[in-house]
Amino acid sequence: MATLTEAQKRGALAHPDVDLHEEVNRDILKMLSAPGKGWWFLFSLAVLGVGLMFGSWGWQIYRGIGVSGLTSPVGWGAYITTFVFWVGIAHSGTLISAILFLFRAPWRQSIYRMAEAMTVFGVMTAGLFPLIHVGRVWHAYWLIPYPNARYLWPNFRSPLVWDVFAVTTYFTVSSVFFYLGMVPDMAAARDKATGFRRKLYRVIALGWRGTDRQWHHFGKAYLFLAALATPLVLSVHSVVSWDFAMSIVPGWHATVFAPYFVAGAIFSGVAMVITLAVPIRKVFGLEAYLTTKHFDAMAKLVMLTSMIVFYAYLTEFFMAWYSGEPPEKQMFWNRLFGHYWWATWIMLICNGMIPLMLWFKRVRHSIPALFAITIFINIGMWFERFVIIVTSLSHEFAPFAWGVYRPSLTEMGIVIGSFGWFSFWFLLFIRLLPPVAIAELKEVIPPRMRRTSGGHDGHDAVPATAPAGD
Amino acid sequence: MSQSGILASYDYLDSTVDAVKELRDAGFDEVITYAAYPEHHLEDALGYGESPVRVWTLVGGLTGTATGFAFTAWTSMDWPLITGGKPVLSMPAYVVIAFEMTILFGALATVLGMFINSRLPNVTPPVVYDPEFSSGRYGVFVPASGTDLDRAREILRKHDPAETREGAHA
Amino acid sequence: MSADMSSGIKRRDFLKVVGVGGVGAGLTGCSTESAEKLLPYVVPPEDITPGVATWYTSTCNGCSAGCGMWVRTREGRVVKVEGNPNHPVSEGALCQRGHASLQALYAPDRYTGPMQRVNGELQPISWDEAEALLAERIQGAAGNVLFIGGAMGPTMADLVDQFLSSVGGSRVEWEGLNEAPLREATRIAFGRDVVPHYEFEGAEFILSFGADFIETWVSPVQYQRGFARAAGVDDEGRKGEFVYVGPRLNLTGQNADEWVPIPAGGEAAVALGMASVIAGRIGNAGPYAEILQAYSPEAAAEATGLEAATIRELADRFQNAPSVAMGPGVAGQHRNATAANLAIHILNSVAGNVGSRVRLVENAQSAPSRPYGEVEAAIRSMASGGVGVVMVHGTNPAYGLPPASGFNDAFAGVPFKVSFATEPDETAAMADLILPDRHFLEAWGDASPRPGVYSLQQPAMESVPHFDSKQTGDVLLSVATRAGSPVGPATTYDHLRNRWQSLHQSVGVAQDFEAWWRGALKSGVVEVPVPATEEPVTLRQPDAALIFDTPAFDGDGEFVLMVYPSSRFGDGKQANSAWMQELPDPVSKIAWHGWIEIHPAAAERLGVDKGDVVTVTSPHGAVELPVFTYPGVREDTVAVQMGMGRQNSGRYANGNGVNAMTLLPAEAEQPSGGLVHLATRVSVVPTGDVYRLATIEGSDSQSGRGIAPAAYIGSLGHSEDAGYEGEGEGEGGYEEKPLEEMQMLGGFGAVEVEGKAADWPLPGTERGDYADPETPRWAMAIDLDKCTGCSACIVACQSENNVAFVGEDQVRMGRDLGWIRLERYYETVDASHAGTLDVRHLPMLCQHCNNAPCEPVCPVVAAYHTPDGLNGQVYNRCVGTRYCANNCPYKVRVYNWYSYADVPEPLNWQYNPDVTIRNTGIMEKCSFCVQRIREVQNKAVVEGRAIADGEVVPACQQSCPAEAIVFGNIKDSTSRVAELAENERTYRVLDKLINTQPAVHYLKKVTFHEVEDAAH
Repeated sequence: MATLTEAQKRGALAHPDVDLHEEVNRDILKMLSAPGKGWWFLFSLAVLGVGLMFGSWGWQIYRGIGVSGLTSPVGWGAYITTFVFWVGIAHSGTLISAILFLFRAPWRQSIYRMAEAMTVFGVMTAGLFPLIHVGRVWHAYWLIPYPNARYLWPNFRSPLVWDVFAVTTYFTVSSVFFYLGMVPDMAAARDKATGFRRKLYRVIALGWRGTDRQWHHFGKAYLFLAALATPLVLSVHSVVSWDFAMSIVPGWHATVFAPYFVAGAIFSGVAMVITLAVPIRKVFGLEAYLTTKHFDAMAKLVMLTSMIVFYAYLTEFFMAWYSGEPPEKQMFWNRLFGHYWWATWIMLICNGMIPLMLWFKRVRHSIPALFAITIFINIGMWFERFVIIVTSLSHEFAPFAWGVYRPSLTEMGIVIGSFGWFSFWFLLFIRLLPPVAIAELKEVIPPRMRRTSGGHDGHDAVPATAPAGD
Repeated sequence: MSQSGILASYDYLDSTVDAVKELRDAGFDEVITYAAYPEHHLEDALGYGESPVRVWTLVGGLTGTATGFAFTAWTSMDWPLITGGKPVLSMPAYVVIAFEMTILFGALATVLGMFINSRLPNVTPPVVYDPEFSSGRYGVFVPASGTDLDRAREILRKHDPAETREGAHA
Repeated sequence: MSADMSSGIKRRDFLKVVGVGGVGAGLTGCSTESAEKLLPYVVPPEDITPGVATWYTSTCNGCSAGCGMWVRTREGRVVKVEGNPNHPVSEGALCQRGHASLQALYAPDRYTGPMQRVNGELQPISWDEAEALLAERIQGAAGNVLFIGGAMGPTMADLVDQFLSSVGGSRVEWEGLNEAPLREATRIAFGRDVVPHYEFEGAEFILSFGADFIETWVSPVQYQRGFARAAGVDDEGRKGEFVYVGPRLNLTGQNADEWVPIPAGGEAAVALGMASVIAGRIGNAGPYAEILQAYSPEAAAEATGLEAATIRELADRFQNAPSVAMGPGVAGQHRNATAANLAIHILNSVAGNVGSRVRLVENAQSAPSRPYGEVEAAIRSMASGGVGVVMVHGTNPAYGLPPASGFNDAFAGVPFKVSFATEPDETAAMADLILPDRHFLEAWGDASPRPGVYSLQQPAMESVPHFDSKQTGDVLLSVATRAGSPVGPATTYDHLRNRWQSLHQSVGVAQDFEAWWRGALKSGVVEVPVPATEEPVTLRQPDAALIFDTPAFDGDGEFVLMVYPSSRFGDGKQANSAWMQELPDPVSKIAWHGWIEIHPAAAERLGVDKGDVVTVTSPHGAVELPVFTYPGVREDTVAVQMGMGRQNSGRYANGNGVNAMTLLPAEAEQPSGGLVHLATRVSVVPTGDVYRLATIEGSDSQSGRGIAPAAYIGSLGHSEDAGYEGEGEGEGGYEEKPLEEMQMLGGFGAVEVEGKAADWPLPGTERGDYADPETPRWAMAIDLDKCTGCSACIVACQSENNVAFVGEDQVRMGRDLGWIRLERYYETVDASHAGTLDVRHLPMLCQHCNNAPCEPVCPVVAAYHTPDGLNGQVYNRCVGTRYCANNCPYKVRVYNWYSYADVPEPLNWQYNPDVTIRNTGIMEKCSFCVQRIREVQNKAVVEGRAIADGEVVPACQQSCPAEAIVFGNIKDSTSRVAELAENERTYRVLDKLINTQPAVHYLKKVTFHEVEDAAH
């Protein structure tokens, strides 16, 4: 006799307003229909951003890296800041889809597709910045592990090469994960769509038909991918943090960096998911799928990570004082009260103070409040990276060589444009691919049963409502 | 492999499960079911064992680890260049590379394994297939002919399917 | 793009230049000029082969000191100038301005040929026409020819005078850096009309009343070397003391152990006060005895606000040690400057220094000292229409004289004005005819810096083809002939030879002239014994009435204005050199633009800070300048540098800073007739504007990091922490622990290391090329007790290694490319009263660490360690991630944010073909002059011998006047650098903190006052 699974029971609570599997198809696939004005407006904004970004970058390549505000001693600035920012954003996706999958968190189904898309596009954006910031981008391919004419290979001791491996691996794996999870939904789309889209989805769906054999292997593969992606997601931002921690720069050279960055990444990532989910939910009327329960759960995650991050800040300041080393001590003093004090305080307030509001249930349940808070968090997290990078470099060991860095317009153009680049892909995604996982939603919606008795107690189940048609 | 048989679509999960069970009791082992989501009742009814995909994952991962260490070690010995006074062969630094390659190879092998095991990709359009399968309905296909076909049809009909069709299944 | 050399040169020019080299080579031995002019120093000309450098000797014209030069040419192009070790004046060193004189050779704005002003516009004209025209005008001038010249070598001077006497005319000399008062004082005191030579070596107590003998005064290279030898601590721990007396610390002053900040013009009082104490004991003041009565220490204290005790104590020290005192220099030329110099002569005399450390027979005869009074007269005669033709050569009075002198109007009024300027300048801008002279590296000449020393100047290359120039001597000779009054032989070269022929006879050496002459050309200098005359040590009865009091100052402004010579531009001569413009001023560390030095307390009173623009108003003019707050200037004094604010010079000088002379009166000091520089008060008013300073200075405090620690002289000899110990002790200190490094078993096995540079390669790394134990480990030692911060090394490096200049805006952003950064930290600088002074100078360059933090972070192995210990930077491999620069604790890696190396033709001709040109996006840094190392190594291999210690000399060491830098193979325990590495003063910057194990060893500065801990 068929019985309800745990997931279905809890899922049933997660989506009280969704009864039938058919409704899921209807509601989700509806989003793939012809875009409206709002979408076109946002999309053209995004295209402008892309133009701004590549225009500025082209100018920089033509004139030389000097058009940026970077200088000695601050050799890294807005570019690397933005790189780390986007890599951080990219972390929520795999976290929500993989880790929460392993933990069987009930609320992930409706958001993980969006989160994964965010991951893929986040990495696509982040990946550009190392290229943008190098002085001779036309030689950047030398970082790829291949021997040059004299059989000289890259230096595998360099954290930058680690980065190349980590980020490319992360991009590959999360793309695969993203795609694999989507195959059944593409089949669903295929079976409903017509004309060009049908052809498109047929190809993407790879001929998926949902036979028992396919589901069987699919399930296992998905599980193992999740199991692999989990350590990966933790490693990637650790490696990114080692770009700094492996150096000897006061303010960078700290063992706390790996966990500190991972927490920060999840923090910013989940915040960004909320920031994006709120408008999409509104525009596409997904209230039934993205309930306050989901936001509440994400808000709790944000609150937790925010506290970890803030703790890391305090640890850094304590260790600097405790080390007794003048360079270290003075660097952190300078961080709080020096030339870039304002950036530091933006960081502390946006990432440490404002999220404390999430202790209140009313705040966690107020969508507008969450939206506002997460915007602040996004800003704060960009400044966190700015503070770590710039204040440390500007105030290093040799006092006579201390310096100041002012971002240039070109730099700002590229940084702002990168948001356009990200939105460009994300907007295409919500129009062309199902932004909510159809198949997995059905897992948590009680299947139709013809016999009735028992209820959700593990015995024979009742259909939530009478069968449609028949 | 294309075989002819009978396909029935059901609106209800329990009827589907009952039909499958009855078919298997009647000695039909080749039954294929369709669902819009991973439905473990069906898998149970069909009595699946462990998926071989996990082996692919393991082998892929280990290959990655080995490659990562061998590759980095070889390249640094191939042309010894000292940087920062570190030993030419500085394995701790290479752990990161090896780790990433473990994940990469493991993941790719997993997907490959899944594709091979579940006969994907396969875009040849199915002859007997109900688009509703991807939406809400469940399906049962029994490859059979002659008297077997009649028996199968009888069993399937017994659980009043939304519809039954006969033909070949790609 | 000039990134590759050949494209920078038009092929024809290249062949032409090389060709001439070749021809010259072929013709050696004939006595034609072209053969002679190409007689090289090291190798005979037939060895001129592409790719091999040829060296010539010459004499530097950067200033009048007459330092000897070696000129390095490649393929017939001059690429570098260095000091000539055989030269008694410079002994192989060269100052920053000497190096910069090379850039003038290729200055893109040089006149391209003779030009005539036709209704306001300069039109090109042929040399033939030009000379004919000049000859005609001179004939028309009927003897009223005026020749305004700079300081000239004896041959040139003689040639010009012959010319003038034959065509009828007179010559006046004008040099901005002018020691007329010193010369007059010497005449009055000792009856010798000369500028004395000061012998620092052997002095144990040096007392400067403001003379900037490290920067510009008389013979800076020679004096700085002597000073470093006297004031640098020796192996016995002996060290000469240096006390600086004056209202503002110039770079020389920053090197003093004590500062007596007297008000401007107080030198005479202090000197006489001291003299009276000494004379009171010995009674040898001669005719000045009763004057000294009047100047008791109390009187001096009264006049200068010092304490009488201070003066007595100074007097004791001055008397009881081999001492020397020198005058206020150009910056201190006030209305009683002659008296001040005389007072100092009296002090030297009573202390018995005259004849020993103040030499009158062996004097600085080439030092410019013609009085401004003569120029005044010339201006009057020009104004009165008494001059038909005026010729200007080697000087720029239109810029260098205060506007009040009326020179410009008078000059403009002369019917025919001729300028022999090589490059555009303010005087030439008014001329009717421009006959561009050769740069001194293209021309013949000589100098006689002091009696018995004759230094030759020969063309090191065919004149730069872009510029159709002609040596002025030759022009004058040909003009004289055309004017119908010929003067001796036809060329300057012949005149030179004739003079030297007579010199040859007068010396009476056995050698025949040809051989002697060739020898002279090869060594660049000839020394002949000076007829031994008795040094006049006794003071003469003064023949002029002198007032020793503090002079009067014009106006009633709050501050006394000091207008001081620039150690980069002199009086403005080198202003159009991008190297000099970009070289951070050794005192302010500001590049390109001007500034005014104000004491921080005074700035606070005015409510201004670094970078705030102020209006500086004197009774004679007003300028606007950004403020540089400087604790080394008295609260009642402000200082502005000479040599800036050029208007009609080249592209690099024009519009940078302001011309300080516009604030001064045009007044001749009496009786010397020297132009007064310290004569006016100014008011300083904030404008409210802010000008972001283009400075390389981050912080002037070490903030307890022991970057440049010092050692108390009393602690020398018995300090337990010798050698590598005790360096970089920061607040709290870093404990001693045996060093352990994970070197074995692929990075898992620890080994104990000592961390010495000589231990390279580290255990566990001896693989491949690193295995050979015979490989040297190059290392450097820099004695901070000798280093004066003069910055000559920076320019030498720039010239040797093709280090590009970046311009003011880029410097302001912090993007200067200097491979050496001269850090300047204030420890004790107190302008309020006499006392200890402690300013630390530290040349920071790539430390070539054994554990270089920059290397492992490079993703493409562009930064790696060579088997001989160099921190290699592979430019072609660099992708430009800048990670190495971030991770360099010394911040010595510089980055090409743009293609800075693209310089206007023909400036790129200077580039050293042995060093890669770096393009945009590439990281660069000090390479220990690897090209020089390889050159020597190859030579040694070819000659099948080992490299001798001291054979490899990096550019910085070569040019260091203070002999502070030593380079060599530290693995060779007998080498000097290995020895210095074990010196008790030796430390390595930050090594204790981050275990970088640098190969650059610094020897702590030695102080006469206790220093709390090594960090201060």
